[in-house]
Amino acid sequence: MEVSKLPISATQRGKLISAGYTSLSSICSASSSDISRGTQTAWDMLQEEQESLARITTSCADLDNILGGGIGCREVTEIGGVPGIGKTQLGIQLAVNVQIPVEFGGLGGKAIYIDTEGSFMVERALQIAEACVEDMLEYNRFLRNDCQVKTQPKDILENIFYFRICSYTEQSAVINYLDKFVSEHKDVKVVIIDSIAFHFRHGFVDLALRTRVLSGIALKLMNLAKKFSLAVVLLNQVTTKYTEGSFQLCLALAMNVMHTLTSHLIFDQHQLHIQLLAEGSGIPHQEVKGSK
Amino acid sequence: MGAPMTPQNLLDNPLTTEKCTVGCPIIDRCLGGGIPCNSITELVAESGSGKTQFCLQLTLSAQLPSSHGGLSASSLYLHTEFPFPMRRLHQLSHTFRPSNDHNPCDYIFVQSVHSVDQLLDIMPKIESFIKNSSNSRLPIRLIVIDSIAALFRSDFDNTMDDLKKRSFLFFKISGMLKAMAVGFGLAVLVTNQVVDLMEPNEGVNGLRVGNLGCLYSSGRPICPALGIAWANCVNSRLFLSRNEDFVVRENQMVNGGVGGSGSEDFVCRRTRRSLHVVFAPHLADTSCEFEITREGVFGVER
Repeated sequence: MEVSKLPISATQRGKLISAGYTSLSSICSASSSDISRGTQTAWDMLQEEQESLARITTSCADLDNILGGGIGCREVTEIGGVPGIGKTQLGIQLAVNVQIPVEFGGLGGKAIYIDTEGSFMVERALQIAEACVEDMLEYNRFLRNDCQVKTQPKDILENIFYFRICSYTEQSAVINYLDKFVSEHKDVKVVIIDSIAFHFRHGFVDLALRTRVLSGIALKLMNLAKKFSLAVVLLNQVTTKYTEGSFQLCLALAMNVMHTLTSHLIFDQHQLHIQLLAEGSGIPHQEVKGSK
Repeated sequence: MGAPMTPQNLLDNPLTTEKCTVGCPIIDRCLGGGIPCNSITELVAESGSGKTQFCLQLTLSAQLPSSHGGLSASSLYLHTEFPFPMRRLHQLSHTFRPSNDHNPCDYIFVQSVHSVDQLLDIMPKIESFIKNSSNSRLPIRLIVIDSIAALFRSDFDNTMDDLKKRSFLFFKISGMLKAMAVGFGLAVLVTNQVVDLMEPNEGVNGLRVGNLGCLYSSGRPICPALGIAWANCVNSRLFLSRNEDFVVRENQMVNGGVGGSGSEDFVCRRTRRSLHVVFAPHLADTSCEFEITREGVFGVER
């Protein structure tokens, strides 16, 4: 019997035919494993996760502990906090740390930094890169390792692909373009967006449209993270919500994006305070340090 | 600037962001060279702390050649508080005269802004004005808005609807300013007022933002106006504080004829002013003391 003659709805008929089932006998002969093509058992997933257990260190032991060893690849991590708490610093730090060579326990990858706010300062990135190279030299001395530190701070800067975005249209366009860009630059291991929210907090009058665009972006980033097994880090602003007579901090646009992301971090002085230690231009070791 | 769709190589640009000197080596050292280009810097202080002095001085020092830390640029001064301190600018211009062949006041364009709508209206005009100035002797590379708070604090009610509208406008204005800052390599300086903090750690205003746990000026706990939404719109925030010091000085010169005591104590009032970095992507938590004299705003070595 032909599928086209079956007494079922037109959409179901269309779906069956487009899936290649033209007759009733072909449907009968299909086994359950054929139909569930593309699914994976939990065991396989665990194996896969253990194989690709690549994590990018944040250079802060406490923070790494909370994150289970660092920012995970194949994941989308959202980081929020009040202005001045160190979101951009953490972003730059990750863009540098992803480049730590494999011999030193890093990923030896490259970074994409999408700057929507203009807070990325080259001199700060250079300082962090210098501190990172310093750390690697220290590591060598400490372990009497024979690995040569070939990386120069300038090489680190060269391996950060920096996009400066001035509107939400540009932001959407760049995110659409990422798939193509990363397939040409396979060694990109982290994509940092600083910040996801800024341009979406103006220019959108239609909030329903904003929600649709944002969930589209979140979905694309999730796919990107899975497809190329890279880490996606979204830095987000916080806003206040008035509930039950008191003000609470919450992530901007959080209602829209929250259910699609893998993990969230909110930096708050009460829970976890990221503070900049060892500051001042005279001290070479300038990195974001966190303390619980 | 390249097209947004191609990544920039960070080594193509200078390794330090261009800065505009404030006109004093001590303050410049504190700020890592001055006010950075391509981003928005906010100056927060209560009235009478020297915000406007600072802004006026910056418009003059921006005209200095890059060998002197300036941008060799004209500036655009949008003022929302009246009147524009023309006499003070004129007075300061004697200190910062880059050369004798021109009057520095000729290279400061002043525009008054009365409302948020007006500011939004003139934004496109400002952009074309800056574009047209790029071929002149000193192109515009500095925008000062003194103050942003005055625009927003009068026009809006304290209702949910108005506050929502207000923060929408913050992001809109800041987005426009940032786009111009990147497009033309501008330094943008915006001043903001403060509000008193009735109870520390109370509500949104008690929230700790940046390096300083709580901002104190004139002995009172304060916090920047316009709330956290606006704080998200600026790249760096600087804070000017002032505190009155009472210095008791013994005076032997007074003759003991009338009072009979022989000496009298004089109480001198001295204002100690300091500048703090509340947050900035390129600066650590630093501060420096400064004083305001007839000649301008200058740092004091401690």
